[in-house]
Amino acid sequence: MGERVCIVGGATTPFDYGATGFESIEGGAADCVREAMQDLPEFRLRDLDLMLYSHFSVHFGHQLAPEWIIHDHLGLAGLPHYRVENGGNTGGSALYAAALAVMSGHHKAVGIVGWETMDSVSQSQGSEFIALASDIRYELLVGGIYPIYYAAMANKWMKENHVTEEDVASIAAKNKNNAMDNPKAQWYRNEHRYITVDDVMKSRLIAYPIKKYDCSLMSRGVAFLIVCNEAYAKKVNPDGYVTVDGMGLSSCTIRAGDRINYPSWKERYGPGYPDMTEFAACRCSAEQAYKMAGIKDPLHQIDFGEIHDAFSTSEAQIYKALGLADGEHITQFLRDHSTHMDGQIPMNPGGGLLGYGHPVGATGLMSTIECYYQLAGMIPRKHLSTKTQVSNPECGIVNSHAGTGTSISNFILRRP
Amino acid sequence: MAESVVMEQKRRKTKYAVEPNFTEKKQFRPAGVQETGLAFVGYEVSDDRQTMNQFLHYDQLYTIRHGKNSPFFIGLLEGKIMGTRCPRCGTTWVPIRTHCWSLDCDLVETDWVEMPLTATVHTWTVAGWSGRSSLKRLPIILVYAVIGDSSVAIANELHGVKPWDVEFGMPLKVVFKPKDQRQGVITDFHFEPADGWRPGPMTAEKLRIKELVEPVYEWVKTLK
Ligand SMILES: [Zn+2]
Repeated sequence: MGERVCIVGGATTPFDYGATGFESIEGGAADCVREAMQDLPEFRLRDLDLMLYSHFSVHFGHQLAPEWIIHDHLGLAGLPHYRVENGGNTGGSALYAAALAVMSGHHKAVGIVGWETMDSVSQSQGSEFIALASDIRYELLVGGIYPIYYAAMANKWMKENHVTEEDVASIAAKNKNNAMDNPKAQWYRNEHRYITVDDVMKSRLIAYPIKKYDCSLMSRGVAFLIVCNEAYAKKVNPDGYVTVDGMGLSSCTIRAGDRINYPSWKERYGPGYPDMTEFAACRCSAEQAYKMAGIKDPLHQIDFGEIHDAFSTSEAQIYKALGLADGEHITQFLRDHSTHMDGQIPMNPGGGLLGYGHPVGATGLMSTIECYYQLAGMIPRKHLSTKTQVSNPECGIVNSHAGTGTSISNFILRRP
Repeated sequence: MAESVVMEQKRRKTKYAVEPNFTEKKQFRPAGVQETGLAFVGYEVSDDRQTMNQFLHYDQLYTIRHGKNSPFFIGLLEGKIMGTRCPRCGTTWVPIRTHCWSLDCDLVETDWVEMPLTATVHTWTVAGWSGRSSLKRLPIILVYAVIGDSSVAIANELHGVKPWDVEFGMPLKVVFKPKDQRQGVITDFHFEPADGWRPGPMTAEKLRIKELVEPVYEWVKTLK
């Protein structure tokens, strides 16, 4: 193992949609960097020796290589830079790339800026843009938007695991209500209300069993994260840095229907897995991250997580893929509210994609930043109260997720 | 030999790669859609004159070159579901793969096989919302179904059944649009219940889906 990978700071713009989210991408990036500098007075932009840019779709920005606009605006001409793109797991993949750069010893301090501007087209057009990441020759025209693919997968998963609409609605209400404690969250800034399981059940049908409030939000937003080696972390943030002790990245088929007999999965996990129900790439990348971080019992060794709740149903599926509960115990795990703030392992105290928002290229970084704030004790400063503060966390998990589970990464963050 | 033919032969001889000739051509682009190129088409300024938004119009015609995958899409024009099969391990696919996915088969090229027009539901959903181009067809029943002995499931719409009556494992038939309406795209066909299939009795889940779907029918009526 090479250099130890650390996180010393980061910030997001408020996540918004439409009229309230009017900032330019380079203006948003500058806002994030300035906030990180306030948190971290010893940090200077000239300390960075690599910049990574995390952005999903140039369709939304109507601009090729938009990272060049941001990079130049930040005053960083001359510094090496490139963009990472990996669907919804773009942020996680950029973090993976930054961690590799630091681990190798080749780079000391890496900045990552992630963003998406999904409100530059209409909401239904936006859904169709995202669906361009499905196999358009086979899936785009058959009613194809992502909620529909996810619904078809979740419907079978829920039947087989005896999970009800109400069970997943409780996840949706949890995350949106957590977001009510987070002034940067889109749910706080736009809809701004506490909701119940009943509200979720009564919201309009998107694709059975998924309803409107089971869905994450389309967003405009920017995020900035600083990843570095331990020597630099000790120099700029000796009391508040966090280590990336484990990481994993895995992949699955683009079309969900292609994974029911996929030979490499059969070889790895035996026949019948993942079917169209399980997120095999989540299980596989979590296994890598757990092994690296020495985690044998995730439920007891991890204190909380910020995970990719694109849909409430997928958050439930992710619990299982992360090994927090097996098929026999998943319903009880859900009904015990194990992942609510007062549960055994709070998930998405920052609001998650359902509450904070989902500007794709910024999303995985937002999850990482929220996880970092919890471990660094910064929640009282960043949230409105300590209601969404995990008590004395030592270890958190960050999960980022793309396609129909087509690329998934997991990271284990700890206090040093 | 006519001069134009001689010229054509000369033109072709200077090429070092074979170029297919496309005599059969169809265009389905809606009338009035034009490739205007990139154009700034308007702006708005906030009342406090602090914020400006600009409108950019962009319309582009793409050519999807199907290459080795072409027989599948040509098959659709002919009312056939073409699959592929690995000559080594015998795995069959629709959606097709032109090379075997098994790491033991070393990307061997697969053979084309005509598939039966029968399938089984692997999983399903009932959509009450969709992309812009599908809104008027809501509610849509989307199934992932296994055609014949395919090792993968293909997504397509299920017609001819109430949204709440779709079942896991239900037998289906593939139904093509009339020949003159086919475009060589996946929507040239859809699924319908196999002949003789009858929906099961009303259940609590079916009632729930009915309750969720009924407002969708009303909403679609309001679309222009
Ligand atoms: Zn083979």
